Amino acid sequence: MVYRSSIGSIALAAALCVPFAGAQAFDEGKYPDLKGQWVRTDTGPPRYDPTKPSGRGQQAPLKPEYQAVLEASLAEQAKGGQGGDPTYTCLSPGMPRIMNVYEGVEIVVTPNTTYMLMEHIHDSRRIFTDGRDWPAEIEPSFAGYSIGKWIDEDGDGRYDVLEIETRGLKGPRAYDNTGLPLHEDNQSVFKERIYRDKADPNILYDEITTFDNALTRPWTATKKYRRVQNPRPVWRESVCAENNNHVEIGKQGYFLSADGYLMPTRKDQPPPDLKYFKQSGK
Amino acid sequence: MLDRSLIAAIALAGALSMATAAAQADSQTKYPDWKGQWTRSSPVQWDPSKPPARGQQAPLTAEYQAIYEARLAEQVLGGQDYNPQVRCLQPGLPRAMIAYEPIEFIITPEVTYMRLDYMQEFRRIYTDGREWPESRAPTLLGYSIGKWVDADGDGRYDVLEIETRGFRGPRVVENTGIPLHADNQTVIKERIYLDKADKDLLHDDITTIDHALTRPWTVTRNYKREPQARWFEYVCDEHNTLVILGKETYFVREDGYLMPSRKDQPPPDLKYFDQSQK
Repeated sequence: MVYRSSIGSIALAAALCVPFAGAQAFDEGKYPDLKGQWVRTDTGPPRYDPTKPSGRGQQAPLKPEYQAVLEASLAEQAKGGQGGDPTYTCLSPGMPRIMNVYEGVEIVVTPNTTYMLMEHIHDSRRIFTDGRDWPAEIEPSFAGYSIGKWIDEDGDGRYDVLEIETRGLKGPRAYDNTGLPLHEDNQSVFKERIYRDKADPNILYDEITTFDNALTRPWTATKKYRRVQNPRPVWRESVCAENNNHVEIGKQGYFLSADGYLMPTRKDQPPPDLKYFKQSGK
Repeated sequence: MLDRSLIAAIALAGALSMATAAAQADSQTKYPDWKGQWTRSSPVQWDPSKPPARGQQAPLTAEYQAIYEARLAEQVLGGQDYNPQVRCLQPGLPRAMIAYEPIEFIITPEVTYMRLDYMQEFRRIYTDGREWPESRAPTLLGYSIGKWVDADGDGRYDVLEIETRGFRGPRVVENTGIPLHADNQTVIKERIYLDKADKDLLHDDITTIDHALTRPWTVTRNYKREPQARWFEYVCDEHNTLVILGKETYFVREDGYLMPSRKDQPPPDLKYFDQSQK
């Protein structure tokens, strides 16, 4: 018969043995299972706050100056232009728009870095979880520079939340396709908490807070993704530049017709100035 | 005092714990260390051991050699219509392995990922023992199945053998436009391994099997591990100064005006514009 003190001895022996072998290992069991393909659960145009419509409906806490920028963007789009949406020539949407997850995302967790491999425009993210400090200089990028920390919030010995801070952004960036603007100073900071639903491990949340000088206050939204229930998900190739008939010359957006000619995108749009061509060469 | 059965129970518990943790450790140390940032130590022509363009002596069929000659003539005149990357299309394979920008490997038991910063591609090489799928939409990078090999029998994998199928176009081998067959039936086989003498040197023996070629074409491309990884974003569309209208390639100047890419190039036909709006 094994007595209580003996059971304790056995448990202690088992616990003591683990660290020696595990010191070199990536203990996958400590991290939440984020494998597979995640897609957004909201419908309609991808947007920052999925609980509200895009554009004006987002009720973004914009300063008056930037509310005017949004209005101007909407007005231009109504006339056929692209407004403040810079992605029509396949520029990366950058943060926070990457997390609208237009197409699937795969999350790969390793001890020092969590990778988010994005199908849309492939603007994938690296979230460094190796305990590093912010570098003295950051080369600005559309995705920014992200440092993360895993948290065991419920104290069960297993991480459940990835907290991320992202700095070092460049532009132009907008929250969504309406051109809802971020400040042109690109001083945005994003803080995220990513975690699975407690009741459903196939639901993932991203609570994202934007700090930006175009806003009157920090703006928080909760995005929701679901894991595709296919053990071998299909990763559809997404090549933005393919069959993209938008052409930008100078600051003007034009369209390429099916027969390869430049076309206007709005009524009375002037053609590009061809002053560097010998006109007699036509 | 502990009796013998208790000592045995403790030993068993310890052994089981060790085995579980060791299995996890083992799965990590079984693989070679390919961490970090890898940059090409080979030049940009496909076969780094030969000069570029015709010097590559690509084993093209007569039909595809003629296509290649036409492309070489086009680029002398400033044209790039044959080069999909001018439109910021991802290069796909084999060109992605030129590694114009750095590469990162992420090894997991089921998949080895390659992040390729040039055009922000990433490859998935499935190492979970799967069969080729019966059907799949073709892609520029193809579908890759890999197998880890312990070539030297030391109990640790050292070679990743990869076969890639399921391509679509348009793809070219490299920037001078060495063509691949329009049927996109390319098969690419690779062996990736660290140099035995230098753990910061990686080799990729790449064999291209394609109907534009008279025989399989094998080259070895090399990559060096950077001591300090600094990752920069590569966004092709950001400063792309080339625009292709119809079959003509033009430049867009810094001040936003269109300009010719060759002498006496005619301007684009603006027939769809109301010319009075100039």
